[in-house]
Amino acid sequence: MTCAPAKGLLEAYLDDELDAAQRAQVAEHLASCSACAGMHAQLLELRSAIRSHAPYYRAPAGLQDRVRTALRHAGREATGAWRWIAIAASILLAVSLAWNFTLWRPHAARPDLVAENIFASHVRSLIGTHLLDVPSSDQHTVKPWFNGKLDFSPDVKDFSAQGFPLIGGRIDYVDDRPVAVLVYQRRQHIINLFTWPSAAPGGATELSRNGYHMVHWNAAGMAWWAASDLGAGELGQFAGLYRQ
Amino acid sequence: MEATPKLALFEKTMLPHLDAAHNLARWLTRNEDDAQDVVQEAYLRAFRFFDGFRGGDGRPWLLAVVRNTALTWRSRAKALTHVSFDEEIHGAGLEAATVETQLAEGSKFVDLQDCMELLPVEFREIVVMREMEEMPYRDIAEAASLPIGTVMSRLSRARRRLRDCLSARMKEVSK
Repeated sequence: MTCAPAKGLLEAYLDDELDAAQRAQVAEHLASCSACAGMHAQLLELRSAIRSHAPYYRAPAGLQDRVRTALRHAGREATGAWRWIAIAASILLAVSLAWNFTLWRPHAARPDLVAENIFASHVRSLIGTHLLDVPSSDQHTVKPWFNGKLDFSPDVKDFSAQGFPLIGGRIDYVDDRPVAVLVYQRRQHIINLFTWPSAAPGGATELSRNGYHMVHWNAAGMAWWAASDLGAGELGQFAGLYRQ
Repeated sequence: MEATPKLALFEKTMLPHLDAAHNLARWLTRNEDDAQDVVQEAYLRAFRFFDGFRGGDGRPWLLAVVRNTALTWRSRAKALTHVSFDEEIHGAGLEAATVETQLAEGSKFVDLQDCMELLPVEFREIVVMREMEEMPYRDIAEAASLPIGTVMSRLSRARRRLRDCLSARMKEVSK
């Protein structure tokens, strides 16, 4: 390497932003060129002067408490504004569920609470703005997004080739715990796939509510629930792909 | 009041970067009271926009909010207007006596701090993130909403200005 390209790469070299091959070429040049080595030494000197002489202003004692208090205060104001909407929504949901219970009772076994949670969460995700926390069709983006947000790592698969593309994920609350929700699309239909650790044994169940279908299974220590307004046949096909 | 799950997650992700947030705010505002107000306001804003956080390292994301908050901080708009390095260093503004006092204190610390503070804010923020936070170009680009190429050229120009500023100080002193 000659001086001209080496000079151009000198700061990226200093900042450790070069790939291994370029790094080796610059290092080799520095070993043989005293002019460039001198410039490099000056840059290093400036860096060490900044790091040792310019003050790093750590947050003073008390700032963390001040920030936390402000965050809680802001949260409380927001809660006040939303409380009445939440209460109204809960009443509507309760009335709707009670009405549906009376309708289903003759047809289905008494649905368990988790199924109700899944159903409510699925409907909520479609009418609200909280369908996706992480919009991405890349399973390698969606899976790491859950890291640190949940105490488990969900198995994220993409079935674009089979006509069920992944469109993202979110965190929701079901059965009093945070769960991962993987969101897939089939034409204009949304599939919410809920999962969380569960010791329950395997076996698949299919349920239908008001035109919505749900498929539930347990596998490898995880509970899975797929919910959608897709026909039972297509949702079953999706569940089949996932369980393979 | 109990933290909601969202608030708990936010605090777990963002409070570890409180020092970084404060350091950047302090260097941008050059004033301790304003820095603390900016940090508090930035955390409130960050919480409001937390749904837009895509996961991963929270630091560049949070620093982007701190930076925007600091740059729009109303009461200190004046302090953030660009100070021309040439006027400050070579103009009448710098009293020789000040320099001598600094020399008497043997204070490279003061020179370096002054030279950093004299950098235009768009150069200063890059130096703070690169040399103090040791952030990679990619994270600086995210925090400052700039292309990586611009980060590199600003960093390079900032280093040149700092070297010039420090050597100008040395000359003033030795006169």
